[in-house]
Amino acid sequence: MTAASALPQFPWLTLLILLPLGGALLCLLHHRRAEECRWLALATTAATLGITIYLFVCYGQGDSGWLLYEDAAWIPRYGIRFTLGLDGISLLLVLLTAFLQMIAVLMSWSEKQHVPMFFSLLLVLEATLMGIFLALDLMLFFLFWEVMLLPMFFLISIWGHERRHYAAIKFFLYTLAGSMVMLVALIVLYLIHGEQTGTYTFALAELMQTDLSSQQEMLLFLGFLLAFAIKIPLVPFHTWLPDAHTEAPVAGTIDLTGLLLKTGIYGLIRFAFPLFPEATRSFLPVLGIVALTGIFHAAWAAYRQDDIKRLFAYSSISHVGLVVLGLAAWQLTAWEGSILLMLAHGISTGALFVLIALIRQRTGTRNLAELGGLWSQAPQMAFLFLFFSLASLGLPGLANFAGEILVLLGTFQTHPVWAAIAVIGVVFTAAYMLRLVQGVVWGPVKGRPTLPDLTPREWLILLPMAVLVLWLGLYPEPFLRPLHGAVVNIMAGGLP
Amino acid sequence: MSLPDLLALLPILILVFGGTVILMAGAWYREPLPLIAGGIVTALLGAVAAGLVQPPVVEIAGLFSAGAYARFFTILWSLLAAAGLMAAARYIIENSIGAGEYVSLVLYAAAGMALLSSATHLLALFLALETFTLAFYILIACNRRCTLAAEAGIKYLLMSAVSTGFLAFGIALIYASSGTLSLPEAVIKLSAATGELHAWGLLGWGMVLIAVGFKISLVPFHLWTPDVYQGTPAPVGGLLATGSKGAVVAVLVGMLAVSGPVWHGLTDLLWLLAALTMLVGAFSALGQKNLKRLLAYSSVTHMGTLLVGLLCQTSAGLTATTFYLVIYVITSLGAFVIIASLADERGEPMEFDQWRGLGYLHPVRCGVLALLLLSLAGLPATAGFMAKFVIFEAALQSGYLGLVLIGVLSSVISFAFYLRVTMLLFEPDESVCRWHTGTASEHAVIAVCTSAVLLLGLFPGILFDLIGRILP
Repeated sequence: MTAASALPQFPWLTLLILLPLGGALLCLLHHRRAEECRWLALATTAATLGITIYLFVCYGQGDSGWLLYEDAAWIPRYGIRFTLGLDGISLLLVLLTAFLQMIAVLMSWSEKQHVPMFFSLLLVLEATLMGIFLALDLMLFFLFWEVMLLPMFFLISIWGHERRHYAAIKFFLYTLAGSMVMLVALIVLYLIHGEQTGTYTFALAELMQTDLSSQQEMLLFLGFLLAFAIKIPLVPFHTWLPDAHTEAPVAGTIDLTGLLLKTGIYGLIRFAFPLFPEATRSFLPVLGIVALTGIFHAAWAAYRQDDIKRLFAYSSISHVGLVVLGLAAWQLTAWEGSILLMLAHGISTGALFVLIALIRQRTGTRNLAELGGLWSQAPQMAFLFLFFSLASLGLPGLANFAGEILVLLGTFQTHPVWAAIAVIGVVFTAAYMLRLVQGVVWGPVKGRPTLPDLTPREWLILLPMAVLVLWLGLYPEPFLRPLHGAVVNIMAGGLP
Repeated sequence: MSLPDLLALLPILILVFGGTVILMAGAWYREPLPLIAGGIVTALLGAVAAGLVQPPVVEIAGLFSAGAYARFFTILWSLLAAAGLMAAARYIIENSIGAGEYVSLVLYAAAGMALLSSATHLLALFLALETFTLAFYILIACNRRCTLAAEAGIKYLLMSAVSTGFLAFGIALIYASSGTLSLPEAVIKLSAATGELHAWGLLGWGMVLIAVGFKISLVPFHLWTPDVYQGTPAPVGGLLATGSKGAVVAVLVGMLAVSGPVWHGLTDLLWLLAALTMLVGAFSALGQKNLKRLLAYSSVTHMGTLLVGLLCQTSAGLTATTFYLVIYVITSLGAFVIIASLADERGEPMEFDQWRGLGYLHPVRCGVLALLLLSLAGLPATAGFMAKFVIFEAALQSGYLGLVLIGVLSSVISFAFYLRVTMLLFEPDESVCRWHTGTASEHAVIAVCTSAVLLLGLFPGILFDLIGRILP
């Protein structure tokens, strides 16, 4: 690879995975002292965030190549290696993971039930997410990809709301079905490659060299695509999300929308597209149309929801539709916009979930019909709710706008019709967001005349998110810079 | 039998003579603990002898192999017997079962399983199979005050009797068509035989297959499994689910490794059996409300997956099958021992209602049970995933894409029922009550099984290398 791999170097990437795992283990060992577990989880996530920020500052400005690369033998008999690599795309996602996970821990501070287990599951989730965003060996990736389901499953099924069991099982089986198909495709690819070259390996860089007939390539691509499409989720495969989303506890919801959905998109970018370039090229129009359908279908569904958590589930599906549209446009600006939009969506929607959870804590409801007049009940909270809602609908100057405009600009250059239709989709977003804001923030006061406003802890959670939303909206350059080289390389069909 | 032969048989002799001595001692000396400890020591000695004493001959009297592969399974089954006895100690004492009888029967069963895994001759196969089946009839029903166990014992006896009939008839037909009873030779001659003889030979192998099908509960010969598992006390169930099935699979693997590809006439039949077994097992398990019955159906599914590996007949397939088998044995044993360790004077927790919320009262064991179940389902990072992965890999290499897709479907369904149990374990429930805290020996067995599952899940290379070296 690059010079970075040649030098003996501190294994930062491995540490990013091991640190949360270690924290999880310590939490379980300290299971008699709930208070300590909280601090332990916070310290672990803070340390992880610290490392990612350090990596961003020190390595984030390199314009191409692997910023960091680690490789070790693991299961030689089957050519499985422990290979991790960090490029601009994974750097941003790793940063987002570390950030949101710390928010999730802070947000779950008042969790009463089975505290040690809760935090250790959150930390395991963080470790697997890091693994997904860093793994370059397909088997290693698959391992993290599957294990990730488990902590999420337990978070939903133990700490979730009323229909948690149904939602948890549905989430697990739905995503599992997709990934098992991917596993088969993966093994077939591995065998074909092994027969051609004589070396059996799961390394991404090697498997990309495989000669495939166009039919083989299409079938394998579809196998991978199914797994990622379910996780993203693209529209015909999205029905698990609203359930899982609504029933999950707040930390689970933040992770689900903020991070889990991103793993599907990341999988497309990192694995599905580079492994099967020909199939990708011929499938892009379909992908674009599916994404467009998703934007509208989900926006329409969101408009009709009364449960605000469910509304945001659909809104997320609509947003990732736009992200995938940007990818399908296959244009540099659109790709950068898509990745930036992932980041922005993770933060702004994450913040909204935090606020929804706070509103529910205080009013006991998430039903739009029973909410109203938040501005006079708790002005600080209402202000932030408005702020993040506007960010989410793409107000210029706030985070989502920067991503959306880049996606639309880029798409317009290759597929003007798509871009034109997508713009209408953005209007749809405005429609349901304004209906939401109108219902929650303004209107006649329902319930108690005043509610307790934000506490310092809650400000501590929301303020950094607000700052980031502004930063991404006003000056996204520092985040775009590491992206550029990586995106150019992947679009050219290579690795960073 | 010459002296080298006897020396090669040493591990088996230790098990059998040790068992007999303990049986005799038990007639006079009724204190259970020393007898059980003696049994455990004997089993461990058997394992040590199999591992350390270099056999002077490769084959014993043309009946049993003394090769590395046979030795490996001798060690495995001896260790299994030791683990089974460690898990059974409390069961024996609390139900005042004759310790001498119980211990000696477990040792005989282990000897039978070890012999079966090393059989290279059809008669040896028959004898070894009957040896441990006989021990199991008694072990299943050894608690005379339990009617469920008696029912299970009778069921197992009847089913085994039927399958013995098939086996004996099948062997006779094979002999008639091929003129030999030596296992690899009989298999090879089947493909050489022509005309009517070939047909008779195929019929004979078909009958042996039916007998095997009964023993390892392939669909449609699996109907006894849930009832017998439910009635069998967990310490015995742990042996029945693992050793009695594993030994049969092991002898098939050993045979295929020597004989090379032989299934020709039977491939389609085996394909169908494997597909049916994986699907019917998984679908039937979905509706269960009893953990032991669920484990029974899960074992049916696993046997179907093993059959996929056997069907491949490549060296990759056989390695995969052996790996899968070892992992299955370890994981299943762990699950049964956990059930046994929770048992108290009310019996064993079996019904799902008894398990609900138990994870908060017995966090470690329930957590481990969840882990083992997820390993059985094939969650990555546990040994179960590696096992499934290598089977699928081997099957795809041999071109059985359809079978792999069916396997994938059955895996997804399996996840559904295993997850239901894990969810149940950690579902907050006020009415849940405590069970036994378990003894040190039970905890030790659970700890060993769990560490093996985790270790082999992350570093499966250790076992792959070993299997690669021992497979003939």
